[in-house]
Amino acid sequence: MNPLGLVTALSAFAGIWLGHVGVREIERRAVRLGPPILGALALGLGLEILSLLATRRTLSAAAGVLGVTLLWDALEFVRQEKRVRHGHAPANPANPRHARILREHPAATTLDLLAREPVGRPVSPEEAAALVQPKGERP
Amino acid sequence: MNPFGLTLGVATLVIIGLGFVWVVRGERYFGYLWWPYVMAAGALIVLGSLFAASDWASALLGALGASLIWGSTELKEQAVRAELGWFPFRAEKIRPPLAGVIAKWRAPHL
Repeated sequence: MNPLGLVTALSAFAGIWLGHVGVREIERRAVRLGPPILGALALGLGLEILSLLATRRTLSAAAGVLGVTLLWDALEFVRQEKRVRHGHAPANPANPRHARILREHPAATTLDLLAREPVGRPVSPEEAAALVQPKGERP
Repeated sequence: MNPFGLTLGVATLVIIGLGFVWVVRGERYFGYLWWPYVMAAGALIVLGSLFAASDWASALLGALGASLIWGSTELKEQAVRAELGWFPFRAEKIRPPLAGVIAKWRAPHL
Protein backbone atom coordinates (compact mmCIF):
# COMPACT_ATOMS: atom_id res chain seq x y z
CA MET A 1 0.00 0.00 0.00
CA ASN A 2 1.32 3.43 -1.00
CA PRO A 3 -0.14 6.22 1.19
CA LEU A 4 1.30 9.09 -0.90
CA GLY A 5 -1.78 9.33 -3.13
CA LEU A 6 -4.14 9.53 -0.18
CA VAL A 7 -1.94 12.14 1.56
CA THR A 8 -1.81 14.19 -1.66
CA ALA A 9 -5.58 13.86 -2.17
CA LEU A 10 -6.35 14.99 1.39
CA SER A 11 -3.88 17.92 1.12
CA ALA A 12 -5.27 18.94 -2.29
CA PHE A 13 -8.85 18.77 -1.02
CA ALA A 14 -7.95 20.74 2.13
CA GLY A 15 -6.18 23.31 -0.06
CA ILE A 16 -9.16 23.61 -2.42
CA TRP A 17 -11.55 23.89 0.55
CA LEU A 18 -9.41 26.65 2.09
CA GLY A 19 -9.27 28.40 -1.28
CA HIS A 20 -13.03 28.30 -1.67
CA VAL A 21 -14.68 28.57 1.73
CA GLY A 22 -11.79 30.20 3.61
CA VAL A 23 -11.00 32.90 1.06
CA ARG A 24 -14.72 33.65 0.62
CA GLU A 25 -15.30 34.10 4.37
CA ILE A 26 -12.10 36.05 5.10
CA GLU A 27 -12.56 38.37 2.09
CA ARG A 28 -16.15 39.02 3.25
CA ARG A 29 -15.05 40.06 6.76
CA ALA A 30 -11.63 41.70 6.19
CA VAL A 31 -11.73 45.51 6.16
CA ARG A 32 -8.33 45.55 4.39
CA LEU A 33 -7.12 42.77 2.07
CA GLY A 34 -3.40 43.34 2.73
CA PRO A 35 -3.12 41.34 6.00
CA PRO A 36 -4.86 38.17 4.73
CA ILE A 37 -2.86 38.28 1.47
CA LEU A 38 0.41 38.63 3.40
CA GLY A 39 -0.73 35.87 5.81
CA ALA A 40 -1.43 33.44 2.95
CA LEU A 41 1.92 34.29 1.31
CA ALA A 42 3.84 33.79 4.59
CA LEU A 43 2.06 30.53 5.43
CA GLY A 44 2.48 29.25 1.86
CA LEU A 45 6.19 30.08 1.77
CA GLY A 46 6.69 28.54 5.24
CA LEU A 47 5.05 25.30 4.10
CA GLU A 48 7.20 25.21 0.95
CA ILE A 49 10.37 25.62 3.05
CA LEU A 50 9.13 22.79 5.32
CA SER A 51 8.44 20.69 2.21
CA LEU A 52 11.99 21.26 0.89
CA LEU A 53 13.55 20.37 4.24
CA ALA A 54 11.38 17.33 4.98
CA THR A 55 13.12 13.97 4.68
CA ARG A 56 9.87 11.96 4.55
CA ARG A 57 8.06 12.09 1.20
CA THR A 58 4.59 12.09 2.81
CA LEU A 59 5.38 15.25 4.84
CA SER A 60 7.08 16.86 1.83
CA ALA A 61 4.01 16.09 -0.33
CA ALA A 62 1.45 17.39 2.21
CA ALA A 63 3.40 20.60 2.89
CA GLY A 64 4.21 21.13 -0.80
CA VAL A 65 0.61 20.79 -1.99
CA LEU A 66 -0.91 22.86 0.85
CA GLY A 67 1.80 25.51 0.46
CA VAL A 68 1.24 26.00 -3.27
CA THR A 69 -2.55 26.22 -2.85
CA LEU A 70 -2.08 28.82 -0.08
CA LEU A 71 0.22 30.86 -2.35
CA TRP A 72 -2.54 30.75 -4.99
CA ASP A 73 -5.08 31.82 -2.33
CA ALA A 74 -3.15 35.09 -1.91
CA LEU A 75 -4.17 35.88 -5.50
CA GLU A 76 -7.69 34.53 -4.92
CA PHE A 77 -8.39 37.31 -2.35
CA VAL A 78 -8.01 39.85 -5.17
CA ARG A 79 -10.10 37.73 -7.58
CA GLN A 80 -12.82 37.33 -4.93
CA GLU A 81 -13.08 41.11 -4.49
CA LYS A 82 -13.52 41.39 -8.29
CA ARG A 83 -16.37 38.83 -8.09
CA VAL A 84 -18.05 40.99 -5.42
CA ARG A 85 -17.74 44.07 -7.68
CA HIS A 86 -19.39 42.18 -10.56
CA GLY A 87 -22.17 40.76 -8.37
CA HIS A 88 -20.80 37.22 -8.79
CA ALA A 89 -20.32 36.94 -5.01
CA PRO A 90 -22.44 38.62 -2.31
CA ALA A 91 -21.21 41.86 -0.74
CA ASN A 92 -21.26 42.29 3.04
CA PRO A 93 -22.76 45.75 3.77
CA ALA A 94 -21.38 45.61 7.34
CA ASN A 95 -17.84 45.64 5.91
CA PRO A 96 -16.85 49.26 4.99
CA ARG A 97 -14.79 48.01 1.99
CA HIS A 98 -17.80 46.12 0.63
CA ALA A 99 -20.15 49.03 1.48
CA ARG A 100 -18.00 51.23 -0.77
CA ILE A 101 -18.12 48.58 -3.53
CA LEU A 102 -21.92 48.53 -3.23
CA ARG A 103 -22.00 52.33 -3.64
CA GLU A 104 -19.56 52.48 -6.57
CA HIS A 105 -20.43 49.34 -8.60
CA PRO A 106 -24.04 49.03 -9.82
CA ALA A 107 -23.68 45.27 -10.47
CA ALA A 108 -22.65 44.56 -6.84
CA THR A 109 -25.35 42.95 -4.70
CA THR A 110 -25.83 41.52 -1.23
CA LEU A 111 -27.60 38.48 -2.73
CA ASP A 112 -25.79 35.17 -3.23
CA LEU A 113 -27.11 34.45 -6.72
CA LEU A 114 -25.59 30.96 -6.71
CA ALA A 115 -27.43 29.79 -3.57
CA ARG A 116 -30.21 27.89 -5.33
CA GLU A 117 -30.94 24.78 -7.36
CA PRO A 118 -30.60 24.96 -11.18
CA VAL A 119 -33.88 25.45 -13.08
CA GLY A 120 -32.65 24.22 -16.49
CA ARG A 121 -33.13 27.47 -18.47
CA PRO A 122 -31.60 30.94 -18.67
CA VAL A 123 -32.98 33.36 -16.07
CA SER A 124 -33.26 37.16 -16.16
CA PRO A 125 -31.52 39.27 -13.47
CA GLU A 126 -34.92 39.97 -11.85
CA GLU A 127 -35.85 36.27 -11.75
CA ALA A 128 -32.36 35.37 -10.52
CA ALA A 129 -32.80 37.75 -7.56
CA ALA A 130 -36.31 36.45 -6.82
CA LEU A 131 -35.09 32.82 -6.88
CA VAL A 132 -32.59 33.37 -4.06
CA GLN A 133 -34.64 35.70 -1.82
CA PRO A 134 -36.46 34.18 1.15
CA LYS A 135 -40.17 33.64 0.36
CA GLY A 136 -41.34 36.47 2.67
CA GLU A 137 -39.07 38.98 0.93
CA ARG A 138 -39.95 38.06 -2.68
CA PRO A 139 -41.64 40.84 -4.66
CA MET B 1 16.83 19.63 -0.10
CA ASN B 2 13.82 17.55 -1.11
CA PRO B 3 12.08 19.05 -4.18
CA PHE B 4 9.38 16.32 -4.24
CA GLY B 5 6.67 18.29 -2.39
CA LEU B 6 7.23 21.58 -4.22
CA THR B 7 7.18 19.89 -7.63
CA LEU B 8 4.09 17.89 -6.64
CA GLY B 9 2.43 21.10 -5.38
CA VAL B 10 2.94 22.80 -8.75
CA ALA B 11 1.66 19.68 -10.58
CA THR B 12 -1.40 19.61 -8.29
CA LEU B 13 -2.07 23.29 -9.01
CA VAL B 14 -2.04 22.50 -12.76
CA ILE B 15 -4.45 19.57 -12.19
CA ILE B 16 -6.77 21.83 -10.14
CA GLY B 17 -6.53 24.51 -12.87
CA LEU B 18 -7.55 21.96 -15.50
CA GLY B 19 -10.44 21.09 -13.17
CA PHE B 20 -11.96 24.54 -13.80
CA VAL B 21 -11.85 23.84 -17.55
CA TRP B 22 -13.54 20.42 -17.44
CA VAL B 23 -16.17 21.62 -14.93
CA VAL B 24 -17.20 24.46 -17.29
CA ARG B 25 -17.14 22.29 -20.45
CA GLY B 26 -18.55 19.20 -18.75
CA GLU B 27 -21.53 21.03 -17.29
CA ARG B 28 -22.23 22.71 -20.63
CA TYR B 29 -22.51 19.45 -22.58
CA PHE B 30 -23.43 16.87 -19.92
CA GLY B 31 -25.17 18.87 -17.16
CA TYR B 32 -24.68 18.80 -13.40
CA LEU B 33 -26.60 15.54 -12.82
CA TRP B 34 -23.42 13.57 -13.57
CA TRP B 35 -22.02 14.65 -10.17
CA PRO B 36 -22.39 11.25 -8.36
CA TYR B 37 -20.52 9.46 -11.20
CA VAL B 38 -17.72 12.06 -11.18
CA MET B 39 -17.48 11.84 -7.38
CA ALA B 40 -17.35 8.03 -7.49
CA ALA B 41 -14.67 8.14 -10.23
CA GLY B 42 -12.60 10.50 -8.05
CA ALA B 43 -12.95 8.25 -4.99
CA LEU B 44 -11.98 5.17 -7.05
CA ILE B 45 -8.90 6.95 -8.42
CA VAL B 46 -7.81 7.91 -4.87
CA LEU B 47 -8.38 4.28 -3.82
CA GLY B 48 -6.37 3.09 -6.83
CA SER B 49 -3.50 5.39 -5.86
CA LEU B 50 -2.96 3.23 -2.76
CA PHE B 51 -1.86 0.38 -5.03
CA ALA B 52 0.51 2.34 -7.29
CA ALA B 53 4.10 1.13 -6.99
CA SER B 54 5.63 4.47 -8.00
CA ASP B 55 5.45 7.38 -5.52
CA TRP B 56 4.92 9.86 -8.36
CA ALA B 57 2.09 7.82 -9.89
CA SER B 58 0.41 7.44 -6.49
CA ALA B 59 0.70 11.17 -5.68
CA LEU B 60 -0.55 12.33 -9.09
CA LEU B 61 -3.48 9.88 -8.97
CA GLY B 62 -4.32 11.26 -5.52
CA ALA B 63 -4.30 14.83 -6.83
CA LEU B 64 -6.42 13.83 -9.85
CA GLY B 65 -8.93 11.99 -7.64
CA ALA B 66 -9.24 14.95 -5.25
CA SER B 67 -9.71 17.29 -8.21
CA LEU B 68 -12.54 15.09 -9.57
CA ILE B 69 -14.26 14.95 -6.15
CA TRP B 70 -14.00 18.74 -5.86
CA GLY B 71 -15.26 19.17 -9.44
CA SER B 72 -18.30 17.01 -8.70
CA THR B 73 -19.26 19.52 -5.98
CA GLU B 74 -18.82 22.46 -8.41
CA LEU B 75 -21.11 21.19 -11.18
CA LYS B 76 -24.35 22.44 -9.62
CA GLU B 77 -23.05 25.99 -9.07
CA GLN B 78 -21.64 25.96 -12.60
CA ALA B 79 -25.13 25.09 -13.92
CA VAL B 80 -26.51 28.13 -12.05
CA ARG B 81 -23.69 30.35 -13.40
CA ALA B 82 -24.64 29.32 -16.95
CA GLU B 83 -28.33 30.05 -16.26
CA LEU B 84 -27.30 33.52 -15.04
CA GLY B 85 -25.45 34.18 -18.32
CA TRP B 86 -21.99 34.26 -16.73
CA PHE B 87 -21.04 31.32 -19.01
CA PRO B 88 -22.59 30.12 -22.29
CA PHE B 89 -25.83 28.20 -21.67
CA ARG B 90 -26.67 25.03 -23.62
CA ALA B 91 -30.14 23.57 -23.08
CA GLU B 92 -29.49 20.14 -24.66
CA LYS B 93 -27.54 17.97 -22.23
CA ILE B 94 -26.39 14.35 -22.44
CA ARG B 95 -28.21 13.02 -19.39
CA PRO B 96 -26.63 10.39 -17.12
CA PRO B 97 -28.13 7.00 -16.29
CA LEU B 98 -30.72 7.35 -13.47
CA ALA B 99 -30.97 11.12 -14.09
CA GLY B 100 -34.53 11.18 -12.70
CA VAL B 101 -33.40 9.65 -9.40
CA ILE B 102 -30.30 11.87 -9.12
CA ALA B 103 -32.40 15.00 -9.76
CA LYS B 104 -34.23 14.31 -6.48
CA TRP B 105 -30.96 14.29 -4.51
CA ARG B 106 -29.43 17.48 -3.15
CA ALA B 107 -26.19 18.05 -5.11
CA PRO B 108 -23.29 18.84 -2.74
CA HIS B 109 -21.18 21.98 -2.97
CA LEU B 110 -18.34 23.45 -0.93
